[in-house]
Amino acid sequence: MNNYSLNKDYYNYVNNNYNQPLFSENANPSTVLDPYNGFIRGNMFPKLYNGYKIQKPFEIQPINEQAELLTYLDTYSFATTDLNLYLDVFPNDKDMIELFNQYRVEKNKILEQYEKKYGPILLNSNALLSYPWAWDDKPWPWENK
Amino acid sequence: MWIYEKKLEYPVNIQKRDLKMAKSLLSQYGGPDSELSAALRYLTQRYTMPDEKGKALLTDIATEEMAHIEMISAMIFQLMQGATVEELKNAGMGGMFAEHDHALFPTDALGVPWTASYIEATGDYIADLESDMAAEQRARATYEHLMDLTNDPDVLAPLSFLRQREIVHYQRFKELRNYYLDKKI
Repeated sequence: MNNYSLNKDYYNYVNNNYNQPLFSENANPSTVLDPYNGFIRGNMFPKLYNGYKIQKPFEIQPINEQAELLTYLDTYSFATTDLNLYLDVFPNDKDMIELFNQYRVEKNKILEQYEKKYGPILLNSNALLSYPWAWDDKPWPWENK
Repeated sequence: MWIYEKKLEYPVNIQKRDLKMAKSLLSQYGGPDSELSAALRYLTQRYTMPDEKGKALLTDIATEEMAHIEMISAMIFQLMQGATVEELKNAGMGGMFAEHDHALFPTDALGVPWTASYIEATGDYIADLESDMAAEQRARATYEHLMDLTNDPDVLAPLSFLRQREIVHYQRFKELRNYYLDKKI
């Protein structure tokens, strides 16, 4: 399909930042998005963001309190995932290590709060101190809410 | 070893059944540049990375790809949920039903079964990383094709997230490859 080949957007896309070499020994991205805005874009580094088809990133619309807390957990979880990959390549970025740890600690706090209220996400959760066995309770991640 | 987190990396809640879209999404489940291929490719290649950066990055991206297999699976599962045999037949999925009923079997969108040759491991880390960069670009292009095929926001949102992840992974692989070339590792 090349229905966009004559479209101006296509040229914008080709010239996008992400396709340029960013590599340097002390690459320090000056700004990192906050966990929510990084999460809805699928990336914490604004220079790497490159949209397609949609005008702006989809906002997450939680259907209830449980989904809202899960979204909060998802955002911090995502922030640690993305900074983790960056730090693998740039292990000497002190500020980023600090930020990673800040998000990691916050993520663990939210995780504990979520598991206490809605059941275990990990098998090492204290939420498993319950009867009957709570691990096989609904919902499974792939099922519609 | 791995630890299971009983949640998705990004939410998938599809309300409208769409069998044709489910069939197209198989591309990213069991196709050559699918999430399944990516996860196993990086897990296979990590043993022959030349330093700790390479071992860490391939392990961590492979782990994230496993979360993406789960997202794509969830999308296909939800798009097919409750479909009758008649509906499957009309969507060109009669053959799939005959072989696998409602099971999620990894093929590409045309029904070609997943094969280990998609893993592309040469033992040469520059060749492997450049092949990984190309694979991320091909997967990014596939996500664009998939986004062209739907206007359902429930489907577009996770596709858009996954497409952006391909761009980030591409960038990290490229930085690592450039570092190796630059340092003559």
